[in-house]
Amino acid sequence: MNSSRQPMKGEQYFWPLLAALLFLAVWHLSVKWSGTKVFPSPFDVERGMAELVHRGLLVRYVADSLGRVAGGYSVAVLLGVPVGLLLGWYPAAAFVVNPTIQILRPISPIAWIPVSIVWFGVGNLAAIYLIFLASFFPIVVASMNAVRNVPSMYRRAGRNFGLSPAMLIAKVVFPASLPQIIVGLRIALGIAWLVVVAAEMIAIDSGLGYLVIDSRNSGKRYDLVVAAMILIGLTGLALDTMFRRIEKLKSVRWGFRYES
Amino acid sequence: MNPRNRIFALLIGWLALISGLHAYLNVNWASVVNDYLPPQKRKFTVAYIPVTCHLACPVTDYISKFSAAGEVFLPKMFQGFPEIKEALISNKVQAAFIVAPLAIALKSQGVPIKVVYLGHRYGSAVVVRKDGPIKTFADMRGRTIAIPSRFSDERLIVFRAMKAFGIKPSEIKMVEMSPPDVAGALAANAIDAFSMGEPFPSQAEMAGFGRVLFHAREYWPDYMSCVLVVRQDMIDQRPDAVQVLVDGIARSGLWLEKGKSYRENAADFVGRFYYNQNPALLRWALTNPLNRVTYSPLAPRKADFDLVRDLMMETGVLNKKIEFEEYVDLRFADHASIKTAWLYEPGSATAQ
Repeated sequence: MNSSRQPMKGEQYFWPLLAALLFLAVWHLSVKWSGTKVFPSPFDVERGMAELVHRGLLVRYVADSLGRVAGGYSVAVLLGVPVGLLLGWYPAAAFVVNPTIQILRPISPIAWIPVSIVWFGVGNLAAIYLIFLASFFPIVVASMNAVRNVPSMYRRAGRNFGLSPAMLIAKVVFPASLPQIIVGLRIALGIAWLVVVAAEMIAIDSGLGYLVIDSRNSGKRYDLVVAAMILIGLTGLALDTMFRRIEKLKSVRWGFRYES
Repeated sequence: MNPRNRIFALLIGWLALISGLHAYLNVNWASVVNDYLPPQKRKFTVAYIPVTCHLACPVTDYISKFSAAGEVFLPKMFQGFPEIKEALISNKVQAAFIVAPLAIALKSQGVPIKVVYLGHRYGSAVVVRKDGPIKTFADMRGRTIAIPSRFSDERLIVFRAMKAFGIKPSEIKMVEMSPPDVAGALAANAIDAFSMGEPFPSQAEMAGFGRVLFHAREYWPDYMSCVLVVRQDMIDQRPDAVQVLVDGIARSGLWLEKGKSYRENAADFVGRFYYNQNPALLRWALTNPLNRVTYSPLAPRKADFDLVRDLMMETGVLNKKIEFEEYVDLRFADHASIKTAWLYEPGSATAQ
């Protein structure tokens, strides 16, 4: 099969769906053959999801988690993109700050939980802080690299036109670095959504991460645990698909022209 | 040596180095070898958490090492009850110290375990900030209190206190927190009170910012918190090994009741070798006063467990009325009741 062949109408839904169904079949058969008393089969998980819908919790939990991610992520974008731009524009500043960033970056949000409880108490603020931490560093690093990858020809051309540094950044460097920044934002959103389970371990009482921890704590409800995992995955897929639409906007489409 | 071979050799050397260091410094060879012994000779793995509730477990392990028969079981430390629950269900540990409501809940959900002995009596308290606004439990209206888990006697004792003061369940906010986090959370004003087992109340007291509002015994005269559970298949296949385990725990309980110097010795070796906690903290929790925690009598009694079961049903964490005989096996406690304390003097190298 030639990989440059355009997919037929409907084919883009058929094959992924078939792969998902195959995966579900393998899962169901493994549960049956191994005779496990704990791990749920796809039908148990589907019953668990129906129970969540019945109790009116499904939409509420998804909305609560999305709200927390939105809060932490937007603060990270508002702070991270300017910081990254500045660090990319002034290499001396990057040289000074970089070791600190690289030290803080690998610290998992779960390791931040005790400290965030002491700073923000138990509740939404601590969870939003953890999500902010998780998404801040990827955004800063991506913006920094995006500015550094802007061809110096653009900068010199802008200076030829007599632009001040502020105008240069606003009118030339920022639009030129936007595609790479968008890629960094997409990755950071994925990380933020991934961290939502850890963030909701801090005595929160709603949300998909809370559902995972709570179902585990209430005895043997592993069907709800796996149901929550699948919901987290599906919502992450939806978020990512939405983000890819942004890449098709006119102001950044030029940056992705080499993608197949 | 060309660069490719050199890199390869370096990688192999690095892998060998960290594997060797890990095997020398970290691996518990006793438990690795134990997994390969035939099933009849395999030692039990007993799970515990670093709380004074479970002190009998490391004490038994330490003292039995000096005795002629050697180590009775392999202890394994966990940091939280959900992990113990999962290890019990998947047979990675054969016995565990868990809270009584969790044992009842697991049994009612079909996990094949039986309660064979208790961990200790008393030893839980509700702690508030020393200079805070809460002077009596009635001030807890509208406040937040931290509990270790919805399946814990610490939660039930709060409900009993609420009943005594006429406070409705909706008027107090309960949050589930892991015990090591609560002292910091109380100091930082994130919570207003916590209800936990020792040594966490002692930790808040010793650090100077906590004050015990009430001990568990004030609202529950025969308070018991943690129990020893054993898997049903172990009870069926190796009852003699289970008896040896219960005997060891019973004798440790009696040893701890012998006097203050024994408790101080226990605080020392448990804090240093098992719990990784400051021995001074454990000393405070065990001796200040001497009846803050008692390790006798530890045989399971029907009245205690029915009370726990009824409180669980009343507060909504249990929906099946389960009878005492279904989840407790009294044979081992009965046979252990004739045992005497370990003959072990602090600092000596022999025990009987």
